[in-house]
Formats: sequence, C-alpha cells, structure tokens
Amino acid sequence: MNPAPFELSMLLAILPEILLVVLAALVLLLNLGVRHRAEGVLGWLTAIGLAVIAVLSAVFARPGDTPQLIFGGMLRLDWVSFSFRLLFLLGAAITVLVSLEHARTITGEYLALLLVSTLGMSLMASSANLIMLYLAIETTSLPLYLLAGYYVENQKSVESGIKYMLYGAVTSAVMLYGFSLLFGLSGTANLAMIPFRLTQTGVSPLLVGGALFLTLVGFGFKVSAAPFHFWAPDVYEGAPTPIAGFLSTASKAAGFAVLVRVLLVTFPQLASFWTLVVAILAALSMIVGNLLALTQRNIKRLLAYSSIAQAGYILVGVAADSPLGVAGMVYYLTSYLVTNLAAFAIVWLVAQQVGSEDLDAFSGLGKRNPAIALAMLISLLSLGGIPPLSGFIGKVLVFAAAVEAGQVALAIIGVLTSVIGLYYYLTVMKILYRPAVDEAPLKPSLSWRTAMLICVVLMLALGVIVAPWYGQSLAAASALF
Amino acid sequence: MTNWLEDPIRWIAEWLYSVLVGWGILPSVADVILMITGAAILSTLALLWVLFLIWFERKLIGRIQDRFGPNRVGPWGIFQSVADMIKIFTKEYITPQGADKVLYNLAPVLAVASVLLIWAVLPFTRSIMGVNLNVGVVYIVAVGGGGVLAILMAGYASNNKYAFLGASRAVAQLISYEVPMVISLLVPVLLAGSMGLNDIVQAQSVPYLVMAPVAALVFFITSMAETGRAPFDLVEAESELVAGYNTEYSGLKFGMFFVGEFLHSFTAALLFAVLFLGGWRGPFVDQVPLLGLVYLFIKTMVIYFLIILVRASVPRFRIDQMMDLNWKVLTPLSILSFLVTAVIAKVLEGQFLFQVLGLLAGNVILLVLFMEWGERRNKRNRRPMVSQPRPLATPASDETSMAQS
Amino acid sequence: MSAFQIVFLLIALLTLFSALMVVFARKTIHSAFWLILALFGVAATFATLAASFFVVIQVAVYIGAIAILIIFTVMLTRRSMEESGDQLLPGWGWAALVVLIVFGGLVFMLLQWQGIFQPPQVLTAGGENLENLGMALVMPDRYVIPFEVASVLLVAAMIGAIYVAGDHKKRS
Repeated sequence: MNPAPFELSMLLAILPEILLVVLAALVLLLNLGVRHRAEGVLGWLTAIGLAVIAVLSAVFARPGDTPQLIFGGMLRLDWVSFSFRLLFLLGAAITVLVSLEHARTITGEYLALLLVSTLGMSLMASSANLIMLYLAIETTSLPLYLLAGYYVENQKSVESGIKYMLYGAVTSAVMLYGFSLLFGLSGTANLAMIPFRLTQTGVSPLLVGGALFLTLVGFGFKVSAAPFHFWAPDVYEGAPTPIAGFLSTASKAAGFAVLVRVLLVTFPQLASFWTLVVAILAALSMIVGNLLALTQRNIKRLLAYSSIAQAGYILVGVAADSPLGVAGMVYYLTSYLVTNLAAFAIVWLVAQQVGSEDLDAFSGLGKRNPAIALAMLISLLSLGGIPPLSGFIGKVLVFAAAVEAGQVALAIIGVLTSVIGLYYYLTVMKILYRPAVDEAPLKPSLSWRTAMLICVVLMLALGVIVAPWYGQSLAAASALF
Repeated sequence: MTNWLEDPIRWIAEWLYSVLVGWGILPSVADVILMITGAAILSTLALLWVLFLIWFERKLIGRIQDRFGPNRVGPWGIFQSVADMIKIFTKEYITPQGADKVLYNLAPVLAVASVLLIWAVLPFTRSIMGVNLNVGVVYIVAVGGGGVLAILMAGYASNNKYAFLGASRAVAQLISYEVPMVISLLVPVLLAGSMGLNDIVQAQSVPYLVMAPVAALVFFITSMAETGRAPFDLVEAESELVAGYNTEYSGLKFGMFFVGEFLHSFTAALLFAVLFLGGWRGPFVDQVPLLGLVYLFIKTMVIYFLIILVRASVPRFRIDQMMDLNWKVLTPLSILSFLVTAVIAKVLEGQFLFQVLGLLAGNVILLVLFMEWGERRNKRNRRPMVSQPRPLATPASDETSMAQS
Repeated sequence: MSAFQIVFLLIALLTLFSALMVVFARKTIHSAFWLILALFGVAATFATLAASFFVVIQVAVYIGAIAILIIFTVMLTRRSMEESGDQLLPGWGWAALVVLIVFGGLVFMLLQWQGIFQPPQVLTAGGENLENLGMALVMPDRYVIPFEVASVLLVAAMIGAIYVAGDHKKRS
C-alpha cells in the first residue's frame, strides 16, 4: 500500500492532535492570568476541551472503509488509531477531573504536560513509520517522566520520576537500536514495507528475530510486562496518584497499540517466534504480578503489581495472533482503563484525607462514604473479573482467543492466577468494611464525583452491553489483519 | 597554469605541487603536504598579525585616554609587542599545586586552536580560502564550542577559586550569548540561501548591513560578548576575580590565552565583514581578484576600530545586566528580526530593489518599535532610588561664588 | 587494507577507548572530558562518510552544548566530583556477563548478514544536498509530522525543565 499524496482534507485526520496542541498552548497562556483567581477553571477547561476533541475526532477523523496511509506514510488512518485515540482522550479527561481534587496538581504546566503526553499516545497508536513511532513514544514518555516527579519537594516523587526516566531511557535506547537494525536491514522505515524488503533481500530470520527482540524490550517496558516491570511499583508509589493511574492505563494502552501494530504488520513471517516470546512474557507477568501483589501493604504498590498482572492477561490476547485476540485486547484495555482509573481515584481521595497509603487507611470506608466504598468494591471486582462487570468480558475474550489459538496452557495459567488475584482484591474489600477509629465522612468534589460516575457507569455498561464496543474492537482488529 | 598576477597564491601552490611531483612524490601525498603547508602559513601569519593588533590597540586606547601609549621600542613604539613576546618566552612556567596537569596544559592550546579553526573557512578573496565548506556558518558555531571548553578546562584545572569563578562566569556568558548570535547568523544564511561563507559573500550585491541592520547589530554585540572583551569582560574582572580563568597561568601559556583573545576579536571583526559587509567584494574585484584581500582588510579594520572604541568608552556590565541584555533584549530582538526578514524577503521575492528597501524599512521599524517598547517598560519598572544623590565636596558653583564676592 | 580503512579503524579505536574511559575514569569531571573525545570520534566517523553537515551539527550540539552543560553541572557539584570510592557495584560480574552475552549475540547476528561485508556506497557528486534535507523536513508528504512532533516534544521538555528548576519556595 502506497501512501496517498497530500491533500488538505488529510488535516482533518490529525485534527484531534492539532487541537490537543492548541489546547495545551491555551492552557499555558491562561495559566499566566487565571491561576490564582479561579482555581479549577483550567482543569475544567482542559477536561471539557478533551471531551470536545473526542467528539470532534469521532465526527471528523473517522477512517474510511479501507485504511489509508497519510502524510507520506507517517500515519495510518484506521480503526485501531481511531479506537485508541478515543480511549486516550477518555483516560486523560478522567485523570484531569480526578487531579482537580487538589489545587497542587492543576497548574498549567501539569495540564500542558498531560496533554502533550496524550498527543504522543494518540500518535503512537496511529504511526506507521519507525521514525514517527520513536518520536511518538518519546513524546509520550518525556512528559510522563516529569509528571511522575511532579512533587519536586517530595523525595519519593522525585525518586519515582528519576527511576522512571532512567528505566525509560535505557529501554528506549535498546528499542532504538532494534529500530536502527530494522532500518539498516530493510532500507525502509515504513512499517508495512519492512517485511517485503526483508524477504526481497533475503535477510536471515535469525537477524530479524534479534531486532524484534530488541524492540520488544522497549514495548515491554511501556506495558510493564515482566521481566521489564521493576520500575512500576516504585514509580506508581511515588508519582502523584492520578498520574500513577494515567501511567497504568492510558500509557499502557498506548504501548499495546504499538505492540500489536508492529508485531502484526512488520513481523508476520516471524509469527511463530513472537507468539512464543509474547506468551512467555504473558505467563511471567501473570505469575510474578499476582504473587508479588499478595505481600504488599501499600495500596499503590498493590495496584502496581495488579497492573503488571493485568498486562499479562492482555498479552494473552496478543499472543493469540488472531482477530479475536486483538479485539479482546482492545476490549480488555478499555474496561481496564475505566476500572483502574476509578481505583486510583479512590486511593487518591482517601490517602489525602487520611495521609497514608497503607491498606489499613481504607478501613471504615464503608461507614465514611458508602457510595465510594461501593465504587471501590465494583472496580476491585471488575479487576478480579467477576460478572457482570466489564473486567469479566475482557478476560473471557482474551482467554477464548488463547484457547482458539491452541494456547490452552496460557489460558489455564490465566485462570489460575486470576483466582490468586481475586484473593488479594477480596482482602482489600474486607478492609473497606472493617470498623475503624476515624469515621469522619468523606466529601469529594464535584469534578471527582463526575469522573467516578463516568468510570462506574462505563464499567457496568461495558459489562452488560457488550455489542457496540466489541464491534468497534473487532473493526480495529480487522484493520490489522 | 593560472596567471600569477590574478591569483598569486594559487599560482604558487600549483608551482609547488609541480615541484613536489617532479621530485617523485605521489600526487595524493603532495596534496596533503600542500594543505599542511597552507594551514601552517595561514596560522603563523594570523598569530604574527596579533603582534600588530596588540600594539594598535594599546596605541589607540592610549590616545583615547589622553596618553601616548607604547612609544619606546622602535618608531611609534611599534616593536613593543615584539619585545613583550621575547620577554614572555623567557618566563618560567608555573604549575600550581593540585592542578590537573593534562587539562591545565591543554587549555591554552585549545583556546588558540578554536580561534584559528575559524580561519579555515574564511574567504579572503574569491578563490583564496582554506575550505569552501557548504556548512561554514554552522562550522563557526561548532568551533566556538572549543573556546568555551578551553575556558572550562583552564578554570577547573588551575585548582584556584578565582579561576573557577571566572570560568563559571565565562561559560554562563558564552553559552547565553550563543543563542542570539546563532539566530542573527541565520539571517544572512536566509538571504543568501546558503550556509557557505563564500556563497554568502557572493550573494551580497548589496551588503547585508543594509538589508538586515538589526541582525548585524545583534551579531556585533554578541560577537563582542563571545570574545569576552570589554564591556563584556566580567570574565576577568580584575577587581573581583584577580584575572579570571587564566589567573594561574604564566609565561607562554598565559601568552597563548592573551593571543587567543586578541585574535578572537579580530576574527569576530573579519566574520562581521564577511557576513554583513560583503567580504572581498568591491570595485574592480572581478578584474584583479587580489584587490578583494585589500577590501576585506579595510572593512575588517573599520569594524575592529569600532570594537576598540566600544571597549574604551563603555564601562563593564554587572552580571545581572549582562544576562538581562542577552535574554530580555538581544534574544527577542534577534528572533523578531529573523521573522521580519523571512516574511519580507519572501513577500517581495523577485523585485530586488523593493526587497532591499522593504527589508531596510522593516528592520528600521522593528528597531524603533522595540526600543520604544523597551523605553516604556523601563519607565514602568524603574526602581525607586534608595536615597537622593548627595553632592560630596562639589566645588563652589559660579552663583555661590558670585554671591560670596 | 586501504588508507580509508586504517583511518576508520583509528577513529573507531579512539572513540571506543574514550567511551571506556568515560566509564572507568576515577573523577567525574575526567569522565566528562573523555565523553567529549568520544563524541568527537563520532563526528570524525561522520567526516569519513563525507557528511559534513552532520559533522558540524554533532560538534555544535553534542560538544558545544550538551557536553559543556554536563561539565558545568559537574563543576558546580564539586563535592561529588571529588568522590573516589569503589568504581564497581557489587553485582558487576553479572552485569558483565549479560553485556558479554548481548554483545556476542549481536556480533553473531550481524555476521549472518551479507550487507556487513559490502563496502559502503559512495555518495554521488553533491550527494549531500542540504536543500533537499530542508525541503524534506517541511514537505507534508515527507517528514513534516515528525518534525512538528519533535518541536512539540522539545517545548514540553523545556516546560518541564523550567518547572523542575524553578524556585519552589517562592511558588508555595
């Protein structure tokens, strides 16, 4: 497929990205005047702006029947990029609304960096060229490094930012080395062209496999799959909680978007090799994540290990190498996004009130605010994969894909580790309804309640009404096969 | 064979080449020998030229300050620098205790080398130049980094706090002023459509001083700061830092820093002449290319004269003033001038006369508006005086003395 | 072995040696100065490829800006600069093993490839056309999107740097 020559109408395809840059600039400019007079205005403006961008992108940036390569083959306009873009915009909007809870995290810089990061994710999902891909990954990561270390006077936050940056830099260097090998071997940076050139010039599969392995390191870091997961608990623990939520959901989803695109489009010949590697990664992540989560006392670290395990489940869908697997992955990511963001939002609220992120800090939440306790309950159950919540559908889809692809062992590991997962989710639930000394009622702000409402409604809706978003996920999957 | 009158240096080079090949030396080796010889001659001439520059500057500053300047050795004291040079050769090298020996000795070499490297790309006439590099302007910026490095090395390796402070100041100043300098360098590149210095000279049928006066002004000021001359010599502010980064150096090592500084400001003048005054261009230069050397020399000396005048008449900046000037005045001004030049040059493309006039007008308007804005800003932000200035021991004015009498 | 190969080998050795010294030098500031030599070696490699634009950009950006900033930072933290503890971390043996395996694997992999035994292509006359490079960066059908994204990335990095370096006492 050759890239289409430039037309002005192509600008519509990147309208959401352009608007994100405009919004970031607007926030920065307004920050000069508005910040001290009306707190929260900037945050609401950003959240509403993100919603508007989502609507506009759903209307104007729709892909056609056939995927189209635009801007000289830099971007690919298809249902994958479309679906994931909506996902990222949703995640960013919820993160902003949650951040509004505390005045400290709604400065112009914070919001602008968040928006730039969202822009990078959106480009990650749609890039079809190695150069574009690398730049998009860096555009996503760099603001996130800064956001993770946003509390500059807090040692833990700084540690989190520096750790994230060091890990990110090393893995991105390894990944870039893989990219450069791919480019050198094939002579093209276009993802779709690489396999043809490689077969034309007859490069040995061993060499291509090596390059693939190096690139997988970078992607493995982004999705925090074991054994590239070491950063996750420390970074989530120190980073501002909404950012930890954003890192564990939207950033991870972006990593998966890139992962499936590169694996399916660039390495179809090596499918047997990479399904094996991804299956191993998946099994490792599920086992390591769930087992280590059992011993955690800090709720954010617990959620971090749980997110490693969730990455394992999602990788099961990737390892299936089938439309069903990819569709399951998209569905799972969506449900995981709303669920985990809700969990982190509650942690953020409670930890601020109590001043501790220990598991015991959550005792008595059922008395202090039953609604929030219920929301936490729902999101934990959804994470554990209990019907009729969205997490259940996601798990069913990826495990079905694994069985369909003949990877029964992987599905069995998945089910077994899910049981372990359920155990520590239930432990947290038990603490929620335990009596506690401090029973002062919790009063979240309007923005926080809005975000939580969106999350809970989506969790229930995705669990009950499967068809619409599943259709969308299948459309995305078919764009890659 | 080229005509020796038209292009004597090439003529000599070709003659030497034929001699060397006649001796049975491989042509490729002969090429290398010629290149090395050329580089050695050029750099030796440049360094010897500094002897004259030092005398010239001392004499001129003497006159400005109502003194004679050097007047003992030779007619008008012209051999004073030679005497100084011989004296500095005989001085002892002192290496301070705890100095980092390798870096300490490397620094003066690098300081001179980074200046001499610029000469490699300067077009002296239409055909006499080291290399006609197609990225000459970026090369100049790149080589400038070597000078900063030399200062850092000297300041660190001396194991002396004054040297260290001087180096810190110097680096802060140099890397700050590089920003507007690079942006103002972009303007001639934009107008000429090339980054090669000879192409830029050839494109200047009207000197760029006319087409881009604001960029020329910014470049003039920043290149003065880059050379660390007064009023930007807080690097070696005697009253505060002894002598800055070269405090611990003695003998010829100090001499090299000294020579490097003089040569650097002459090179800055040369660059200005090449970039904004049309380099070797002038009447009859097509018939007698060697005239270009004379024109370039005259233009350079005018600029060098100006640099010395500024040095002699403006007091040293304070460090905050120096930074203010750079970040709040020169950087925005250079960015604006780049924008204005780009837009006007594009809009009036094709009509040369209108383009020149439009650029001139645009630049003048920009400068006037910018100064007006700065004036207002200054008035708004003027700091209140702590106390009224008190007249101390003023001589009795005419009125009072009349009243007394 | 042609003269070209000898030059390349010398440059490669210089670069590798300085890179090693960056790691092994006892004083941080010496590491920084060795780093400059290593970067210079990379610039020289570009020069052997007749890519003069990349030579000067390499020198201007990496030596003229990045390395100088690194040295400046090291010099401002004189205490840690003088530190001369053990150069090796406790688990260095394992790290060396991993590095050796990865390096061996890469060498083995690359030896499978025919392209590594071919001489480099000679650029056509005027092969380095800066105008083409500039045009490619702003043409919608070539690299305008990566170019613009890179600028957004740099602005974000700058905002972040200013935020991190800002005066936080004054802010709160």
